[in-house]
Amino acid sequence: MPGVTSSSSDSALSIVPHSSDSQSPRVYPLRHHGLTPPLARVSISWARGNTLRVSLIQSEAVSKQQTGGEVVEVKLTNMEGGEVTDGQWRRIAYGSVTPFALLQSRKNSMDSSHRSKDWWEHVMEYSREINSLLANSKSSGNVVIEDPKALLKKEEEPTSLKAAWELMEIFYADKQSETCIPERLLDWLADYDCLFSGTQPTVHAKLVDFQKQLVTLQVIENDPKYWEAMSSALAVGWLDIVVKLLHLHGSYQFDQLGNRETENGLVEAVAVLISQMPRMRPDLPSGKLGECYQTKPEFMKAWEKWRSQITKLDCSSFWLQCDHHQTREGLKNMLQIMLGNTSILSHVTYHWIELYISHFLYIRPFTVGLENMCNLAQKCMHLKPISNHHKLMGLIIGILEENIEVVLAECSRSFDPWMITHAIELLTAGSTQAEILLLEEQSKLGGISIEELQRLVYAQVLSSYAMTWNIAPIYLTSCMKQGMGLLENLLYRQPVQNHQVLLKSIEICRLNELGIVSSNMMKIYGVHKWKHGQKGSAVFWLQQAQDEVRLNRIAKQLFDFVGKSVSDESFKQWEGLIELLGTESSTAGSLKFLNIYRDFKRSLLQVHGETTTDAAGKAVESLVSLMKNPSTPQRFWLPVLYDSLKLLNWQERPLLNVAQTHLLLNKLQELSIAKLKPDFINADSPPEALNSVRLALATNLGRAILEE
Amino acid sequence: MALSTFPPPNPIQIHRLPQFTYIDALRWLPQVSAFSRHILLATYDSDTSTPSIQILTFTPAQNAKSTPSLTHQISLSTPSRITSLKIAPSPLNPSKPLIAASTFSGSLLFYSADLIDGSLNLEFSVPEKGFHWGAVSGIDLSDNGSECVSVENGRVNLVSLGEKWNARTVFDSNGLVSYSTVRWASPVEFVTGGLGFGMHWWDQRKPGGPVVLFKGNWSRGTTSGIVHSVDIHRSRKHTCLAGGSSGTVFAWDIRWQQQPIILSGAWAGGGPANSLSESEVWEVQYDSYRHSSNTGNVSSSKILPAMICTEDGILAVVEQGEEPVELLAEPCAINSFDIDKENPSDVICSLEWESIAILMRPQDRRQ
Amino acid sequence: MDKLILTLDKGTTCTAWNYSGHRLAAGSTDGTVAIYDSTDPVSSTFNCTSRFKVQESSILKVVWIPPEYGDAVACIATDGTLSLWEEVAQDTEALHWKLCKCFERNTSQVLDIQFGDSRTSLKLVAAYSDGQVKIFELLDPLELEKWQVQAEFQNIIDLVSKFGNASCSSASISWNPQRGELQQSSFILGFSSNSPLLNSSKVWEFDQDHQRWLPVAELASPEDKSDQVFAVAWAPNIGRPYELIAVATNKGIAIWHLGSNPDSNGRLSTEKVAVLSGHDGEVQQMEWDMSGMTLASTGSDGMVKLWQSNLNGVWHEQAILAPVFPEQ
Repeated sequence: MPGVTSSSSDSALSIVPHSSDSQSPRVYPLRHHGLTPPLARVSISWARGNTLRVSLIQSEAVSKQQTGGEVVEVKLTNMEGGEVTDGQWRRIAYGSVTPFALLQSRKNSMDSSHRSKDWWEHVMEYSREINSLLANSKSSGNVVIEDPKALLKKEEEPTSLKAAWELMEIFYADKQSETCIPERLLDWLADYDCLFSGTQPTVHAKLVDFQKQLVTLQVIENDPKYWEAMSSALAVGWLDIVVKLLHLHGSYQFDQLGNRETENGLVEAVAVLISQMPRMRPDLPSGKLGECYQTKPEFMKAWEKWRSQITKLDCSSFWLQCDHHQTREGLKNMLQIMLGNTSILSHVTYHWIELYISHFLYIRPFTVGLENMCNLAQKCMHLKPISNHHKLMGLIIGILEENIEVVLAECSRSFDPWMITHAIELLTAGSTQAEILLLEEQSKLGGISIEELQRLVYAQVLSSYAMTWNIAPIYLTSCMKQGMGLLENLLYRQPVQNHQVLLKSIEICRLNELGIVSSNMMKIYGVHKWKHGQKGSAVFWLQQAQDEVRLNRIAKQLFDFVGKSVSDESFKQWEGLIELLGTESSTAGSLKFLNIYRDFKRSLLQVHGETTTDAAGKAVESLVSLMKNPSTPQRFWLPVLYDSLKLLNWQERPLLNVAQTHLLLNKLQELSIAKLKPDFINADSPPEALNSVRLALATNLGRAILEE
Repeated sequence: MALSTFPPPNPIQIHRLPQFTYIDALRWLPQVSAFSRHILLATYDSDTSTPSIQILTFTPAQNAKSTPSLTHQISLSTPSRITSLKIAPSPLNPSKPLIAASTFSGSLLFYSADLIDGSLNLEFSVPEKGFHWGAVSGIDLSDNGSECVSVENGRVNLVSLGEKWNARTVFDSNGLVSYSTVRWASPVEFVTGGLGFGMHWWDQRKPGGPVVLFKGNWSRGTTSGIVHSVDIHRSRKHTCLAGGSSGTVFAWDIRWQQQPIILSGAWAGGGPANSLSESEVWEVQYDSYRHSSNTGNVSSSKILPAMICTEDGILAVVEQGEEPVELLAEPCAINSFDIDKENPSDVICSLEWESIAILMRPQDRRQ
Repeated sequence: MDKLILTLDKGTTCTAWNYSGHRLAAGSTDGTVAIYDSTDPVSSTFNCTSRFKVQESSILKVVWIPPEYGDAVACIATDGTLSLWEEVAQDTEALHWKLCKCFERNTSQVLDIQFGDSRTSLKLVAAYSDGQVKIFELLDPLELEKWQVQAEFQNIIDLVSKFGNASCSSASISWNPQRGELQQSSFILGFSSNSPLLNSSKVWEFDQDHQRWLPVAELASPEDKSDQVFAVAWAPNIGRPYELIAVATNKGIAIWHLGSNPDSNGRLSTEKVAVLSGHDGEVQQMEWDMSGMTLASTGSDGMVKLWQSNLNGVWHEQAILAPVFPEQ
């Protein structure tokens, strides 16, 4: 899509509809292996989902051509630009099904007026579950011994995907932390600052650099980098790191206690002040420093007190007794940071968002409201302009500007459709404006809402992969207008000639009450088996599909076969098939008569030349029951009767009694009438058949009357 | 797909381990030592389109908080995807079991594993085309590993495994009958399951065709079903346990040929209580866990408890005349499972969403 | 993003994927058709599993039959013949491809064919070089040998006029992909010919009451009616209140909305919602994806283009896929 212009994913191609229409289309290279220009033809075919198959057919004019062309499969899906592997992407896709479905069912069970109050709690539960899936845990077991010098613990590989999700959770879903958004942003930056390191300097990058040098440094406090690292970490509020670093200060060493007492006291005083910093948040994770305050008045009071302590320390006379120049300057600098010295803050931070956080911490701790936050962000961006935009920046700006359309566009531009489909739940929980924009059905979208459109797109992405296509139905059933239509199309494209795929597809049809689709699949499978000579399986599945037309057709073929070559060895096989069909209850439908016909034919066979009347009698019994059977199709009547001429004209005595002869005559009569109708199917009997049968029956009737 | 989670007061430990690859079949391998257990997997990597057979070492959780781990020991790629996997312990050397695998393309593969060395060797394979024509739907190894019976659409084949292997077709229905699964009942008898809930009993001493036929004719309405899996308990070879379409689980005693005992399923009657699931039952196995101590006490007319797994994500134990016990309710299909023969408390399942679930039931269960 | 899935034989002229994208039929200059199969439904590795000789002349187009009728392909050869081949293994024979039907022909050539998947019977529309359209109907669902001509007409609205000597160079047919039981069979057809009235694409619908095919809409503006049509494509409809059809002419690709309720004359309302620049040169093929949201097209410029309507309902060119050749 033209939207995919972020430099990080050069080969990613996605076809998610978006709102911008000014951009010109992007050209993507189609790679191939050994073709030479010119091509005779390029031909295309959509495979499942967003997969396009392109046949590049080589021109014959090229003399040295090796092959006739190549077929290239293009997946028109931007799968996260390589941030997560395909396997992990699938794990996320599988894992999000349950939270998504649960949230939908909760939504459906509550009426919308009722929903507003605690709805966000359900959304938060959902958000946490999704967030836990995005954790890309690579840690192998617990680290038993913690390195005292390790500043940055790396428990998991941070991803932009998770960072974006958490941002939206902070701003849209988590109503509980509405009052402490700055604090949550601080935590967020602590986790994801490293993502920005790739393109430009950050506090994180600086700490990583310093960490490398740390082991080699002898007198740490003499190194200006030590003080710089601490100032930077302090500015963005990574208090635990700062205190940890302060404790590495040389004045703490035992041999130093005697002569550096004041110096050590000052270091410790700063460390204490840092760890006592008032925080406007309900709680802190273990290991993090500061004192939490839940209400604004309490926080303000504590804040004022804390600031006055800093000012007091700043003016203290002890500084004069501190001989170590770097320590004195470094600590003073840190006090200035805590006092909100704008120029120092600007000096020790790199990225605008770091400066932004430092402003929240030390200059405007009481900032509330998105408008103020947005103004501040603009100011910081102005102070620290960046050349290379990370994809998260657009998202942050969109959120702060309260522009839901930008957020949508950024989400679909930078992340795959999984993100937008699932994030919409957060966005709609966030504001009524977003809810209206996302849930309103629009005629320009073909009568569906943006929410539904995104789910359809995501379902199509899922259908592009053989492993995930069967979770697409979950998302499609949540689409009120067009979901079932797409589900049917998806099912029609399944390779149901494979047994396993057939059974799994039928199950989806069963759950979604798509009986017609399911019979069609069984029909496809049945016909496939029939054409492959697997008649038993074919008949079974056509019966399951209740395909009367094809079953009748098969019955006819069986009839013809049994009629022709009964003595054949292959009759045994057919007999097996008839057996298979015959014992089936109503499902056999018109095939049931074949059973009786087989018996009839078998006994007729035994009536050869000089056989006894007994055998012939048996054949007649079969004949009568065959003709009595309502499932015997009309078109078989004449051939059956014609076959039985020998019985009708039995020399010794008439084999049929009067009633039986009447029955057959009636059938013959019915047949003559039916012959006049337009839909009569003519069986392949000789033209004289009708007359010979009629004559034989008449003769038999006459003889029978005489006998009785 | 069921979304409900299992109620918490549950002493069963359940671990779900993502594999990032589709699992076509899985089995416990015989236990060599108390500390290491092995699992055999037939997998399919959809990213690279490669099927393979793997041995994994399973390390149980050390304490209540930690999770058990699976480590790959060896992996061999196979010519085609595996449709069925069976193991026979080697009578002389328990660390070297025999493995039989059937493939989608129609070949049969025989491996020998060495669980101590961690090696897996392809001993020989019966090639596709000619022996089997299409996908082999089921195989079974006889108890002593001397014979392997395999079935497909229309054919029953037998491979004798000795010094020199030899393969022959037992029966060819020319496409009239489809077999989906097979199980040995004794060294000379086996049972096949197929379409229309049909079961055939075969006796090698009476060649030429099945000896006893059964056809499930309880279907209401117009649909019937398929038997997907059969199990026979060594102590009661006449009773065939079968699982198949529409949540159906039934037992067929060949001495009471036309009267199956329906344990679960849409046809079971007696209301929905007996119908655990309405979708495909992919695998059935007798669950020796609950009665391992007192099999003898159970009336011989009563069907032993059976474990089943279903397309709608249920792993459960069904027992004649009792409410089924649900062990797992997953949001995705459970395609197969295996109960460890030596530790019947432990069960492994393959889940549709590329992961394995391991269930460890408490071992000192009191009846 | 892109992945090579198979290499075609030398001399390949056309390819066609089956309904599920697991089999490919490729026709070639020497009149053979090669079939490529994936080893299982998940794999995207394809191998050639059979080859059969259809004709002495080159194959122009191959079309798979709907799967409800088995595995079969209809082949148009450059000499204008049309034949139907089926894969079967009945009784004791091994699986093989056999000729089911050679459609009889007069002097005209077959230009395009499409199978229509109607619930009642299988239909095949064939467009001929003399401007004739024939609709064949399969008589027996399990036997692909038996066909009868259900209708024969010309692609003109005014049913009275007839053209004796039209000469068409290409034709394009697209069935309404909807499978609903209540849905009437309908398709769209356009020609590229020397006869202006034949050219414009028309929607034909089967009138059940009178058992005949009627033109229910013409997808061309009055001033464009004589434009030669290169390709047509009817989009799957998963719930839109209107049908979406793409028509490619020398003026570009036009996207049409087609209403569903006929007026008193039995005509459906039409609206041209967009005209897109198309390709540099002729548009050769257009295909809608399964949701009917994205249109893919190829042209004589060797490019693949993707078209989509954005969130404001504006149709635009979404992306271009261009084969790259190493510098030589």
